[in-house]
Amino acid sequence: MSDGNEDKKGFFRRVGAFVARDHRFVFLGTDAFAAFGMWLLMMGYAQGGAPAVDLVAAAICGVWIVASLIPGIYKLTHWAAYEKSSPFVSDRALRPIRILSYVVWLAVVEIMFDVIVLGVVRAWIEATSLTSNPSDFLLSTFYMLDASSGIILHGITVTIELAFFGTIIAFLLALLLVFLRIQKIDRSDNYLLRFFKSLGSGFARFYSTIIRGTPMMVQGLIIYYAGFSVVKSSGLSINETQQVWSFFTSGLVTLSLCSAAYMAEVLRASIEAIDTGQLEAARSLGLTQWQAMRTIVFPQGVRNAMPAISNELIINIKDSSVLSVVGVFDLMYATTSIAGIYFRQMELYVAAALIYLVLTGVASKLLNMISAHMHMQTRNVLSTASDNATVLNEELIAHE
Amino acid sequence: MSSAMDQAAEAQGAATGKDPIIRVEGLRKSFGSLEVLKDINFEVKPGEVVSIIGASGSGKSTLLRCLNLLEEPDAGHVWFHGKDLTEERTNLNELRTHIGMVFQSFNLFANKTVLANCTHAPVLLHKMSKDQAEKVAHEELSRVGMDQFANAGVTQLSGGQKQRVAIARALCMSPEIMLFDEPTSALDPEIVGEVLNVIRELAEAGMTMVIVTHEMEFARGVSDRVIFMDGGVILEEGDPEQMFTHPREARTREFLARYLDE
Repeated sequence: MSDGNEDKKGFFRRVGAFVARDHRFVFLGTDAFAAFGMWLLMMGYAQGGAPAVDLVAAAICGVWIVASLIPGIYKLTHWAAYEKSSPFVSDRALRPIRILSYVVWLAVVEIMFDVIVLGVVRAWIEATSLTSNPSDFLLSTFYMLDASSGIILHGITVTIELAFFGTIIAFLLALLLVFLRIQKIDRSDNYLLRFFKSLGSGFARFYSTIIRGTPMMVQGLIIYYAGFSVVKSSGLSINETQQVWSFFTSGLVTLSLCSAAYMAEVLRASIEAIDTGQLEAARSLGLTQWQAMRTIVFPQGVRNAMPAISNELIINIKDSSVLSVVGVFDLMYATTSIAGIYFRQMELYVAAALIYLVLTGVASKLLNMISAHMHMQTRNVLSTASDNATVLNEELIAHE
Repeated sequence: MSSAMDQAAEAQGAATGKDPIIRVEGLRKSFGSLEVLKDINFEVKPGEVVSIIGASGSGKSTLLRCLNLLEEPDAGHVWFHGKDLTEERTNLNELRTHIGMVFQSFNLFANKTVLANCTHAPVLLHKMSKDQAEKVAHEELSRVGMDQFANAGVTQLSGGQKQRVAIARALCMSPEIMLFDEPTSALDPEIVGEVLNVIRELAEAGMTMVIVTHEMEFARGVSDRVIFMDGGVILEEGDPEQMFTHPREARTREFLARYLDE
């Protein structure tokens, strides 16, 4: 309830209160949205030719804005008595006003759909029918993507293959590395075993230092040229060598070796985080160090590391782009090539960024679904078991 | 060959009845500059229940962990049926299968169900087939009153339930001796009793046991012999009634007074 004193307060204060209070949702909020819809239509059809539906929708927006001025002016002029005397705040009036505001919102959504969604579709159709590269940003992007869709699709496929197989191979390598790394010398080991254990552990440490301390781009170049000369030294011609040791093969090797070092660190951390009591309990039962690690500690560590390990897939989707420098025909290589052909860099790199965003988005969505599914399964098992446990507990108590 | 030797040793032990299962000789252990065990000598005979009491930091847990070499002593010997565990060429893993251990923090395998916790070691170490191991596990779990939970995961159990499963797990290896490392120290006061009852029943069934504990009344009731440790040495050793009513050493009296007042 406003009291008479508010009359005497300043005009700006009154306007501020007007904006902040009951007018802000139905009237002012819808006004802003309606204005946005009209602006969008003007931008979308700068040269005219907007369809009738859009014009009707824009007209609804316009009418709403003008009509909403009436209660606005009324409120500013009848400030003190507004809530008592205004015809716009009675229950009978508020309902239709609200429903009308929904109509305006619908009209704006219609304009958005036509200009943005259908606009993109229309641009795509227009761009694909063109015979030369247009100057408009969107049209040009679509034109180039359409004209070289084969190359782009090939690039996307290679990127997915690299990331997917690279991550799987890296995981297997990481298991091997971490196995070497965590070997501890047991008192029953003979000298040969002691030697191999320290050798393996030292190698894993050395490997991790080298790989994590150098850029993958450099690793990729070294691995490609080293592999090339090794394969070539077996007496093959340059063509044959390129077929055996292709850019893709060397890229996959690089990505797997590099990712394995990071994954091994993640695995090692989560294995070392397992309570030492688990190992002690296993050893106290007579299990060897290796049996205890393999059957008790390892499974728990790997399970805890799964979220970080699956994150490596997303990292690999993005980081494989570095391998385009070596010559791997991935999405980045495809984009750079097309940009070179048309000499239109901005359009294509933005497009490449969006494609990477979609790939990583889909991958992370899939991984979340898989982990949620697994979590659900374990939780189901646990909850049924614990329900049983509670029931049993209650039975026991009742029995006692 | 080693199992044949075992049987021979067992037969000999059974024949005389008084050959110790475990004999400790001149045991020493330091962590850095801190000397935790200073020349410990004692033995455990078959069927005997020995409790080790003493203040925190007196070395009792370390001594217990030296008995199955979870902690490697710096000097001295631990003989199990005449075989020296501290000898490098001893098959420690094989000997450990005869020595059960129960930990303060339960240490149930978190990636296994209650039943699998019990069958894991017997099956892996080829002591039993899977069916046989499960049969034994169900028996041992019933013995500690946990068979209803056989298929539950270990994370849903209460502390007392976990400790009872841990006892069953150790029993599944049919050990000759059980080591208890403060089995009730991590439990809520109201569920300490359920674990102590299980241990008491085991003692009545004739199991040889070494128990490190802070439960004085329990130690007094269940033990054949009590060892009081202080500052890394065995200060006093003897019959529980005598020790609790007429301790010889002033330090023992002081320690017990603090507990018995409570």
